[in-house]
Amino acid sequence: MATLASRREISAIGQPPSLLDELLRRFGRVILIGIPLAFLVIWTMVPIVWALLASLKDPLEIYESTTFLPRDPSLRAYWIVLGMDGFGKWLFNSILVTLVATIVPLILSILAAYAFAKYLFPFRHVLLLMYLIPRIIPRVSLIVPLNDLMTDLGLINTYWVLYITYIASAVPLATWILVGFFKAVPKEIEESATIDGANMWNRLRYVILPIAWPGVVTAAVLCIREGWNEFAFVLALVTETGMRTLPYALYMLRDSMGVQDYAVYNAFTILTVLPLLVVYLLLERRVVESIVSGAVK
Amino acid sequence: MSVSAASGSTPPTTRERIADAGTFTVPYLLVIPGLVFVLGVLGYAVAGGFWLSLHETDMFLMKTYVGLENYIKVFNDPRFQASLWRTIVFVIASIALGITMSLMFALTLYHVGFGKRLFRGMSLLPYFVSGIAAAVMFRFVFTTSGGFVNQVLGLLGLHQPSWLGDPVLAFIVAVLANCWFMVPFATLILLGGLQTVDKDIYDAATIDGAGPIQTFFKITVPMIKPMLGVSLIWVSYISFSTFDIILALTAGGPQRATEVVSMYMYQLAFLQLDFGQGAVLMVVLLTFNTVLSLVYIYYFILADRRHGREP
Repeated sequence: MATLASRREISAIGQPPSLLDELLRRFGRVILIGIPLAFLVIWTMVPIVWALLASLKDPLEIYESTTFLPRDPSLRAYWIVLGMDGFGKWLFNSILVTLVATIVPLILSILAAYAFAKYLFPFRHVLLLMYLIPRIIPRVSLIVPLNDLMTDLGLINTYWVLYITYIASAVPLATWILVGFFKAVPKEIEESATIDGANMWNRLRYVILPIAWPGVVTAAVLCIREGWNEFAFVLALVTETGMRTLPYALYMLRDSMGVQDYAVYNAFTILTVLPLLVVYLLLERRVVESIVSGAVK
Repeated sequence: MSVSAASGSTPPTTRERIADAGTFTVPYLLVIPGLVFVLGVLGYAVAGGFWLSLHETDMFLMKTYVGLENYIKVFNDPRFQASLWRTIVFVIASIALGITMSLMFALTLYHVGFGKRLFRGMSLLPYFVSGIAAAVMFRFVFTTSGGFVNQVLGLLGLHQPSWLGDPVLAFIVAVLANCWFMVPFATLILLGGLQTVDKDIYDAATIDGAGPIQTFFKITVPMIKPMLGVSLIWVSYISFSTFDIILALTAGGPQRATEVVSMYMYQLAFLQLDFGQGAVLMVVLLTFNTVLSLVYIYYFILADRRHGREP
């Protein structure tokens, strides 16, 4: 509001803007915003929409060079994917591993973040650093030693190996997010709860968590994202077909399909992406706000 | 630590935060369970990787200490040298394109007058698409016959190249796919930065006769420097460690044109089963990434704090 008013004053200082000037200014603004906005929409949506369209096409139609839209859209490819040997197992694996890799890190991170946000204790900086440094270690770089370790431990091709590695990589992220949110909870509220006789668990449960709930939701969504999309670990630590998660199964699809049915390939892609996109769209507001406010980094 | 989250309320000073310091062991008990996982797995992996890089693994997975031999082998390996240069070009191209796009998108989302929430929410969608899925999607967008890009080029009557068959073009597509995946997050970080800039400053600049370009470089960029740092860390982290996108998009080809360090590492360790040399490449990845992150943190975040952003 203030900006609008002052902008008008500024233009009033010179000469009164003619109608033509005003039109040109508006038009310029539409172009300046409109073109990048159109680019943003096309750039973001084309790969997703293209996969969606291809999944509805006839397998031969995909090779044709003049068909943007499916001539005769059908869900045939989706039925093939859903009836695929192993798809149910891969979906189950993905869901199971993602759930564990969300719930456990959240619990661990809530505890740790509470300590870092609210307690003063010796070595807290060193300990926090140990939590945060892993955030700048590329996960793919760890697959060689992890494969070596897990082979020695005999954990290759077990759920445990996925739980352990997924949890370890989600904890630093969730802790980082939650420390910021917990710190933002006013100390006075917690103090008055202490005076009312609330112990640490009750303060955490009834004071901190409800106030910092957007942070918990954000951390949860990002843990789900990590778990659902994780690829390097599952590639390095799992070899059995039945132990694959959806991204790994999607990657292996190229080799395992005799016939090059690209509609099925695209349908599989859409089905691996869809569940996570639904989770995101349900909680979109919280997630976007948390990132824009700088609470996630 | 978090720059803007704390700036809303007055940040609690260290002394103020002594809530109930009576219980000495409590914070440690809270911190340790998570740390067991982080150090146990990630810490072990890093240490184990360094250890592996000094050993040779034979067919029976027996390891013998060989000192720096693996390092010498790797650094003299032309294929490694090529992959390292390729990675550097890949990272520079991705950073240049990625940050430009993120800034442009952030400015667009900042100024857009309608459907703000819709466009923001949509802009983050690729962040939730797995690297493998993104790569598969890009493959079909750039397929020679029937791909989206070539269909558009065909409509315009232009030449339709074989995008993924040509070494240079495939490299470009890999950069584009990588940007598609990493730009959304950087965009929202930068958008957050833009929103913290006081609008009055822009008005003052306009009165002083500054044009939009001057305003952008003299006011906007310095004001959002910490967020630029954060997005730079994110963008170069993703680009350096890019793996799943390239593996599923080109698998390093054609003619190794997209074989970056992480790809070659996978090749060495998992297909040639040379864990020692694979671990050397891990050390290289780790070192580059850590050094770069520390440089960014120093220049963009810490340096800015010291110069008066905080009292």
